[in-house]
Amino acid sequence: MPLLESKLHVPRRRRGVVARIRLDQRLDRDALPAVVLVSAPAGFGKTTLLTEWLAAGGEAARRTAWLSLDRRDSDPSVFWSYVIAAAHKVAPEVGADALATLQLTPTALESVVASLLNDLARLEGDVVLVLDDYHVVESIEVHESMLFLVEHLPTQLHLVVASRADPPWPLARLRARGELLEVRASHLRFSGDETAAYLNDAMGLDLTAAHIDALEGRTEGWIAALQLAALSLKDSDDPGAFIAGFAGDDRFVVDYLVDEVLNRQPDDIRTFLLETSILDRLTAPLCAAVTGRRDAKATLEKIERSNLFLVALDDRRQWYRYHHLFADVLRARLTDEHPERVADLHRRASDWFESDGDRPEAVRHALAAADLPRAAELIELAVPALRRARQEATLRAWLDPLPGEVFANRPVLALGLVGARMGSGDTEGVGELLDLIEGWLGPDRPKHDMVVHDQVELRRLPAQVAMYRAGLALLRGDLAGTIAHGERAAGLSADHDHLGCGAAAALTGLALWADGDLEGGARHYAAAIAELEAAEYFADILGCSLGLADMQVGQGHLRAAERTLTAGLDLAAAHGPLRGTADMHIGLAELDIERNELDAVAEHLRASLELGERLALPQHAHRWRVVDARLRAAHGDVAGAIELLREAERRYDTDYSPKVRPVTATTARVRLAAGDLAGAEQWATESGLSTDDEPVYLREYEHLTFARVLLATGRALDAVSLLERLSAAAEAGGREGSAIEAEALLALAHQAGGDTEQALAVLGHAVTRAESERFVRVFVDAGGPMTSLLETAVRHGRFVGQASALLAAGTTPTPVRAQQGLVDELSSRELDVLRLLRSELTGPEIAAELVVSLNTVRTHTKNIFSKLGVTNRRSAVRRADELGL
Amino acid sequence: MQYEIRVEGHLGTRWTAWFDGLSITTEEDGTTVLRGFVVDQAALHGLLQKLRDVGISLISLTPVEAPTAERLAPHHEGNRP
Repeated sequence: MPLLESKLHVPRRRRGVVARIRLDQRLDRDALPAVVLVSAPAGFGKTTLLTEWLAAGGEAARRTAWLSLDRRDSDPSVFWSYVIAAAHKVAPEVGADALATLQLTPTALESVVASLLNDLARLEGDVVLVLDDYHVVESIEVHESMLFLVEHLPTQLHLVVASRADPPWPLARLRARGELLEVRASHLRFSGDETAAYLNDAMGLDLTAAHIDALEGRTEGWIAALQLAALSLKDSDDPGAFIAGFAGDDRFVVDYLVDEVLNRQPDDIRTFLLETSILDRLTAPLCAAVTGRRDAKATLEKIERSNLFLVALDDRRQWYRYHHLFADVLRARLTDEHPERVADLHRRASDWFESDGDRPEAVRHALAAADLPRAAELIELAVPALRRARQEATLRAWLDPLPGEVFANRPVLALGLVGARMGSGDTEGVGELLDLIEGWLGPDRPKHDMVVHDQVELRRLPAQVAMYRAGLALLRGDLAGTIAHGERAAGLSADHDHLGCGAAAALTGLALWADGDLEGGARHYAAAIAELEAAEYFADILGCSLGLADMQVGQGHLRAAERTLTAGLDLAAAHGPLRGTADMHIGLAELDIERNELDAVAEHLRASLELGERLALPQHAHRWRVVDARLRAAHGDVAGAIELLREAERRYDTDYSPKVRPVTATTARVRLAAGDLAGAEQWATESGLSTDDEPVYLREYEHLTFARVLLATGRALDAVSLLERLSAAAEAGGREGSAIEAEALLALAHQAGGDTEQALAVLGHAVTRAESERFVRVFVDAGGPMTSLLETAVRHGRFVGQASALLAAGTTPTPVRAQQGLVDELSSRELDVLRLLRSELTGPEIAAELVVSLNTVRTHTKNIFSKLGVTNRRSAVRRADELGL
Repeated sequence: MQYEIRVEGHLGTRWTAWFDGLSITTEEDGTTVLRGFVVDQAALHGLLQKLRDVGISLISLTPVEAPTAERLAPHHEGNRP
């Protein structure tokens, strides 16, 4: 998205500015609080206050990021692009990740802001961020993300906001904490002395004290009014008469004064001012087009020299704007005096901006001209670019207010509205719009009545409509509908439309997955990934990779899942940073857990956490915690595991993927393994599962967990029938992992029922199936009873090799290196002492053994107790065992 | 809905077009009353913003029971798509 540099410039200083010492003292740079709010109506000198303050700052002002806001910044994507650019301009090491996140996932505003704040928190020295004209922001998303910023300001960042209205933030709270400095209208009003200084010193007038008094009284210190008065007074032969007339008139101050100023202008200047007042920004060629005058450039310069409220936006005097207050009054005059000209002026401006390449501004003026056909045309042409930039808010601001008739014969425009609404999570009216569009796609509708400006989008209509219908079906939970429409969309997409084909494949795959068809789902996701790669739409690929890997794991194809996740990491390495990179590591960690390769798990966990939340999908928050919890549980730190799982439960979010592994079920399993039968039973009760349930894919993990609870609580016979049904369902659905687990548990059920022969037969089958993909954890996690059954198998000479391997896996000594659960690891010397503490040796004997003094042993022992959180030798030994030291 | 908006200062009738066709009446007490039909809340807030943007101070806002709703300003006919 191209940025307007002028918005990031500190505005140029005005001529004739009065030093306002009392305000300077208020804005003491050395004692600047977190937030400064300059809140006052139009024309009170807010911007001037800030530009003067910065000019006085000298070196310190170097690190001030400035952003002049305008109405387009109400779109969150636009707003944050500019804020990041402003910060980046004064601190180049800031904002790269935030911008990447904003471009990849524009709706994740909190992540964007958090990333920006993290960068700022690492800076040496302070940064001031000035947001001028904050009142133009109307979007609730912008307000909320700004609120997040305000509530998490690092000490280095000072936020200065100039606005005509107080922002919707908890100002009272900030005030109470002393973190808010306010400069309000009452502060900004010019005092008698300041008025005198302004009029006589700065403006070079020669007014008496009585004159000054009268003016101050009438204007109440409103600087914009004083400026207007000064303009008229400069040209006046009889200032006293002017002031008397002004003071004696009861018209609205600005009304009167602007009239005075305008009446003193030559007609052509006056007309120029009125006609160009419709523009937010002025440049000579634009003014020429709007007014029809050839001497636009000279006129602008004359107006600037006359101090007629023209502000230069850059150093090269190419772009200007009027002071907002002056412009609004001029517009009101124009609307009153020449209402019939307004639409035409806007139309000319629209045409000029379109030819200058600023389509959004062209749209704005077309809408202001109430030229709906022109506006509709421009918006239709603008849709693809705005959609790609995720500026749905801008599109909706244009399209939502348009009357229905505009869309009736404009199917491409209608699709633009559909996309903008769906893209912002709003399905209202979308079904009807799709019906309307489809009406034009049939063979019997006269095409000549249709108004279309974007032929490329027209060709994509049939496929797009099918896609959106698939999306609607998914939101309704209609999986069959999603699949049907998704397949149709794929069929209707042109082969070279890789993005379209990819999106359709992903949506269909998702529905198939949720329906339990893992094979179909995986096939479609693989196709989607290939299409998205061909389209170079890398942003969304890793979400598909994670889903594909999950399905492959569900099918028991662990090696294939590994390939998928590794390919994802390769993609990120080649085209990074990509959202979902962290999730690839977690996926690989989960595979390593299944294979009981616990060192590798720790590595991937570390890599994932280093990447941080900004490169993670919504699932990440709970999935890394589950992995970490299972790792700790495997090393015996049950308390740590439970704590992580509790946090994971709070953050459970599968994005759009089906909820096939609720964290609560995992927590129940960990409790079971730790012997907390009561906790596990409570979960079972709350889950509402029963032994009579028909297996359903979405609850398969929970059902298997339920079966484990039954086995652990002595209800093995109840478990048998359920497990047989689960086993059959898993087999039928091609879900190898679940099938293996069901069989393993069935074996335990048989054993508990006394039928060892059947138990061994079933277990032997399960163990053999598990071998090729190296499923290990499913057996290890089944605890004591499984260990016994495996030992029995070995004793009976049944599948000895596999059973022995599994038994060994269950008792793998924890590597000393990974001292999980300890904040401070024990040194090797301390470990030596610990080893001897296990024995019956006394202190002096230990000292002799280690060839050190008794004092040394005592010191080591004290440190060991402290690090292990214990107070005696026996507890130390026990804790060490727990931690596997 | 009919509204009466009272503001500080005397506004001339030249502002009528700018304020969506509301009638403008100056009062003896130095205030001005803008009166007329406002189509909905969004339009009302738009009006208040326009007042704010030219620095006019708000005093009060009162809904008025109108026997006949006179539509002074043309608004889009037709339903939202």
